Amino acid sequence: MARFEFSEHPLDPGALHATVEDRTCGGFASFEGWVRDFNDGRPVQRLEYEAYARLATKEGERIVAEAIERFGVTHARCVHRVGELALGELAVWIGVSAPHRAEAFAACRYIIDEVKHRVPIWKQEHYVDGDSGWVNCERCAAAPNISAHEHHGHDHDHGHAPTPAAIGVHAAGLPAPDYSRQRVLPEVGDAGQARLRAARVLVIGAGGLGAPLLGYLAGAGIGTLGVVDGDVLDASNLHRQTIYSLADVGRPKALLAAARLRALNPEVDVRPYVQRADRAMLPALAAGYDVLVDCSDNFATRFVVNDVAVLLGKPAVAASIYQYEGQLQVVKPGGPCVRCVWPRTTRPGVVGNCAEAGVLGPVPGVLGSMQALEVIKLVLGLESPACDGVVLVDLRTLETRRVRARRAAGCAAGPCTEVDAVESLDSLEIELDLGIAGATVGWTVVDVRDPAEIRAAPLSIARLQVPAARLAAGDELPESAGPVLLVCARGQRSLLAAQALAARGIAVRSLRGGLAGQPRRD
Amino acid sequence: MISVEVQYYALLREQAGTSREKVSTSAVSAQALYEELRARHGLTPDVSQLRVAIDGEFAGWQDALHDGAEVVFIPPVAGG
Repeated sequence: MARFEFSEHPLDPGALHATVEDRTCGGFASFEGWVRDFNDGRPVQRLEYEAYARLATKEGERIVAEAIERFGVTHARCVHRVGELALGELAVWIGVSAPHRAEAFAACRYIIDEVKHRVPIWKQEHYVDGDSGWVNCERCAAAPNISAHEHHGHDHDHGHAPTPAAIGVHAAGLPAPDYSRQRVLPEVGDAGQARLRAARVLVIGAGGLGAPLLGYLAGAGIGTLGVVDGDVLDASNLHRQTIYSLADVGRPKALLAAARLRALNPEVDVRPYVQRADRAMLPALAAGYDVLVDCSDNFATRFVVNDVAVLLGKPAVAASIYQYEGQLQVVKPGGPCVRCVWPRTTRPGVVGNCAEAGVLGPVPGVLGSMQALEVIKLVLGLESPACDGVVLVDLRTLETRRVRARRAAGCAAGPCTEVDAVESLDSLEIELDLGIAGATVGWTVVDVRDPAEIRAAPLSIARLQVPAARLAAGDELPESAGPVLLVCARGQRSLLAAQALAARGIAVRSLRGGLAGQPRRD
Repeated sequence: MISVEVQYYALLREQAGTSREKVSTSAVSAQALYEELRARHGLTPDVSQLRVAIDGEFAGWQDALHDGAEVVFIPPVAGG
C-alpha cells in the first residue's frame, strides 16, 4: 500500500482510517483538508486539482517517510484528491498512528505542511461569477524542479490549465548539468570532474557560511553532500543566507537546503540531517564522508568537528567570522589542527556571535565561498597554503594575512593529544587502577591505541587491539562476554570511540585519563 | 626601546579602536607588550584566551620581540 497517493475518486475516511490501525498504537491523529467556499474574498463554487503525478508522488512518499523517521510514528498515510471537487468535499486526508499522541500530532502536522509546501499540486478555482483561476500550491517556489509552475500559474490566470506535459518537459526533461566552464580548467578536466562526482562532503551548519558553500559545492557537481543543521530558518538569517526564502521561516534549514540543492543540481545526492552535530552522532556519520566542513556558529561544535576529523584521519575545512573579519583553517591529517591553534576550551563570552556582534551578509558569503574553494582544492588534490595555519581575512581593509601554525608540542610525533571532550561525558568514563589485581574482571579490555604505540608499550591485560579510528568509523567488536573498556594513551581517543560504540547500543566505558593517568608505582 | 607594528583582530580591533598601530615599547615579551596595550586600550580578554603571532607565525607569549617585529593579537571567533 502506497503511503502517499493521488485519488480521482472521493475519499472514504473510514476505510483510510482502517489502513493505519495498529494494536501497538495508543494514539491516532488525522487531518482533513476540505474545499471551502471563499478564497481571497471571492466566492468559490467548485474546484479542480491537478498534479504532475510522477514527480508529486515521489515527493509525497519522501515526505511521509521523513515524518515516520523524524517522529518515530508507526504508520502514516496521505491521500490527495485530483480532478473536480464540490464544496465541502474532502481534498486531502492524512492519518498517523503512533504509540503516543505527541508524535502522532507532530507527524500529522509535518506531513500537511510539507505537502502544501513541496508537492506540485495545482488548484483551479471556479468562482460563482463564472470566472476561474489557477492557484499555486503554497510556497512552491522553494520546491525542487517545479520553478516553471509559478510561471504557468500566471500565464493561465484566465482558466487555461497548465498541461502536465508542459510541466513534464521542465521536471522530467531537464537539461543535463553542464560543468564545461570548470572542466575547461587544466586542474579540473574530465578526471577532476570525476573526482568531484565521487566525493562525499559533510557540511556541518547550513547558515551564513554553509548557504553559499552548499550552493557552490552542489553546482560543482560534488556527488554526495550531507547537510547537518538542527535549526529552523529565522527571518533574521535571510540577509546572509540567501538560498532560503522568507516564506520558509520556521522550517528546518537542512531540509530547505536539501530542496534548494536538489533543484540546483539533481545529480547531487543531498542528505539532510535535522539535528545538531555532537559527539554522539558525528563520528558514525562522518565515517561515511571524505571531507568535513565546519560552517557552525559556535566553538563547541567547532571542536567536535575538528576532533572527529583528526580521529578519523579526514581533512576538515573550518571557518568562522566576526563582524567584518573571518578566519579560515584547513585541517589535514598530520598537520596542525584547530586545537593546535586554540588549545584551550575558549570561553564563549570572548568570541561573540552574529546576533550579538552583528554581521554584514557578504562577510560569511566570502568566507563560505573560500571554504567551498578549499573543499574543491582538496578533492582535486591541489595544494593549499591554508593547511599549515590560519588565514585571517579583514574585509573592511581588504587585508589577508596567513599565520603559520605548528602542531602542538605534545602531538608532533603521533596522534593529536589535544583532542579533548568539550562537553562533560562523565557517564562514559570510568576511573580504574589497572595495577590492582582483578580491577578489570568482567570487562573486555580493548586497547585502541595505534599499533606503533602498542609495540612501544604493550598492555598485557588487553584482550583486543582495535584502533579508535576504526571503532568510530563503524568497525564492530567481536561478541564478548561483558561490557567493553576502551583504553588509550590519555583517554581522549578512547572516549570518542566509546561514544561511537554507545551510540550503537554497546555497553562501553572509556578509561579516564588513559594509561598516562594511571597511578605511578616506582 | 623597540618599535613594533601591532595588529588587532575582531573584538580587540573594536576595543582598541584601530586595526593596526606602531608602538614604541620596552616590553621584552609578547605578553608584556599585550599587558601594556591592554592597560592603554582597556582590552578585556586575557592572554589565555588569545593567540599571538610574530612575523607571520603563531608564537608563545614568552617569545621575545625584536625591533620592527610585526605582532598580531588574535582572538578566537565563532560566528557562522
